[in-house]
Amino acid sequence: MTGGMGQTAERTTAAAAHGAEPPLVVEHVAKSYDFNGEIVPVIGDLSLTLKEGEIVSIVGPSGCGKTTLLNTLCGLLAPDSGHIRWHGREVSGQPQNVGYMLQKDLLLPWRTALGNTMLGLEIRGVATAEAEDRSRAMLDQLGLHGFADHYPSTLSGGMRQRVALARTLVNEPDVLLLDEPFASLDFQSKLLIENDTMGLVRRSRRSLMLITHDIEEAVSLADRVIVLSKRPTRVKAAYDIALGSERPDLMAVRESRDFSQYVRRIWADLDVVLQ
Amino acid sequence: MTVEADMAPVHEPDRTSQIAPLLAKRRWSRLRATLAVLVTQLAILAAFLLFWESATASNRALAFMFGSPSAIANFLIQMVRDGSLWRDTSITGLETLLGFFVGNLIGTLIGLSLWYSRFVSRVVEPFVIALGSIPIIALAPIIIIWFGTGLISKVAMSTLSVVIVALVTSYKGAVGVDPDQINLMRTLGASKFQIFRKLVVPASLADIFAGLKLTVGFALIGAIVGEFMSSSDGLGHAIFKAGSLYVIPKVFAALVATIALALVLTFLVGKIERLLMPWRRQL
Repeated sequence: MTGGMGQTAERTTAAAAHGAEPPLVVEHVAKSYDFNGEIVPVIGDLSLTLKEGEIVSIVGPSGCGKTTLLNTLCGLLAPDSGHIRWHGREVSGQPQNVGYMLQKDLLLPWRTALGNTMLGLEIRGVATAEAEDRSRAMLDQLGLHGFADHYPSTLSGGMRQRVALARTLVNEPDVLLLDEPFASLDFQSKLLIENDTMGLVRRSRRSLMLITHDIEEAVSLADRVIVLSKRPTRVKAAYDIALGSERPDLMAVRESRDFSQYVRRIWADLDVVLQ
Repeated sequence: MTVEADMAPVHEPDRTSQIAPLLAKRRWSRLRATLAVLVTQLAILAAFLLFWESATASNRALAFMFGSPSAIANFLIQMVRDGSLWRDTSITGLETLLGFFVGNLIGTLIGLSLWYSRFVSRVVEPFVIALGSIPIIALAPIIIIWFGTGLISKVAMSTLSVVIVALVTSYKGAVGVDPDQINLMRTLGASKFQIFRKLVVPASLADIFAGLKLTVGFALIGAIVGEFMSSSDGLGHAIFKAGSLYVIPKVFAALVATIALALVLTFLVGKIERLLMPWRRQL
C-alpha cells in the first residue's frame, strides 16, 4: 500500500501546481468530417467540464459521435473550432497525464501481461526494474496475481480488460478517458471490474470520464451523467447523481428507487423510438 | 479468440493429479491423428512410385522418356558415391541461402521503412510494381554480364527473385497495423520511432514470416535459373547437363535433391519463426 501513499502525495502536488483549474474544460467544440465531398457535422457545439476527482458518464444515442469526442479530447483529432483546456491550458498534440482506454483491450499479443502493463512506463523511459515493480503491483491490485507472465491469448476477456486497465492506471494519470471499456464483457465480469476500477479511481481521487451507451452503467458509476443529443452533438441534459460517493456494492446501488428514476429520465432524454 | 479466452488457465494445483492422465490420453489421440495422416501420405507416394516403376519396366521407350524410380535411385547412389550430389546441393544451397538472406533483408528493411512516410511510399509504389512485374529469367543474361559466371551472379539472381516479394509483404504488414493500437501508443506518449519499434515491427513479424516461407522457393528458383544460364556446378547445372544429354533419370535425381533442399530450408524457416514468435506457439 506504499504505492497508494506515493500516488496521493503526487496528486497533492499536481493539484497545487494546477491551482483551482478543473482538469478538463471543453468550450464550444465543433468537429465535422469530410464524407464524399460533403461536410458532415459530428459534434455541433459542445461544452462541458470535468472537475477534480469527479466521475462523469457521457451517454448518447448510438452514432452520436461519442468516440469522435473522445479522440478529439485526446488530441488524436483536431477540433474545427472551440477550446479544450487541460488544467487551464490548451495543449497541442497529446495531453500529459491522461489515460485512455477503449472497448478493445488493444493488448500487444507478443507481450506478456506484465510487458503490456509496462508499455507506457517504458515509453516514458522509466528504468526497467522500477517499471516492472510498479506494473507487478498494479496487476496484483487488479486481481491478476500470478498471471503477469501470461500472454494475452491465454487470458479470458475479463482478465485481458483488467490488464488493459492496469496498463492505463500504472501511468498514474490525473484524468481517465474510457470509451465503453466494459461493453464487451459479460455481466458478472463487468460488475466486478467496474467495482475494482471505481474503487481505485475514487481512492486516488482521479477524475474519470466514461463514455457509454449503457444507461444503468452510467448512473451506477458516476457523480454526474451528461446526455448528448443526436448528431450534430450537443449537451442535451446533465444530471447530478445523488446516490452517495461511496458505492461499495454496485449491485445494491442498482436496486435503489432513485437509481431507476435516473435511468428512466435519461432513457426519456435519449428519445429512442421503439418500433 | 473467444475459444482461447474460455481456456484461461486456472490455478488449482491439487487437481493436476487427476488432469495428468487425461492430458496423456489427449496427447495420444493427437499423435494417432498425425500418424494416420503420415501413413496415408506414404501410401499415396508408394502407390505412385509402384505405378511408375511397373509402367516403365516393360516398355523401354517409356523408360527412356520418363525414367523409373529404380533408375533414379541408382543415379542418386552414384551421385552420392562420386561426391557430386553433396557438392551440387551445397553450392545451390549456399547460393539460395545468400540470395534469400540478402533479398529478404533489403526487401524487409525497405518495406518496413516505407511505413514511415506516406509520401515516399506513394512515390515509390509504381516503381515497385514495375520492378516486380519483370520476369527474373529475362534479367539473367544481363546479370551474367555484370557479375560473371561464378557464385555472385547466382546470388544476385536469387536476391532479385526475393526482394520485391519481401518488400511487398513486409510493407503490407506494416500498414496493416490496427490504427486504434497506434492511437493508444500516441496517448501513451510514444514518438514515431517508438511506435515503429515497439508496435509496427513486431506486429509485422507474422506477415514477414509468411513472406519468408514464400521466398524460400523463389530464392531456390532464382539460383537454379542462374545455374541454367551459365555455370560449372550446382543442381541447376546438373539438371541442365543431364537434360541436354537425354539422361532423364539423372534429371529426376537432381530434382529429388532440389526438393529435399527446399523442404529442409522451409523447415528451418518454420523453426526460426516459432523461436522468434513464442506467443504464437500457445495459440
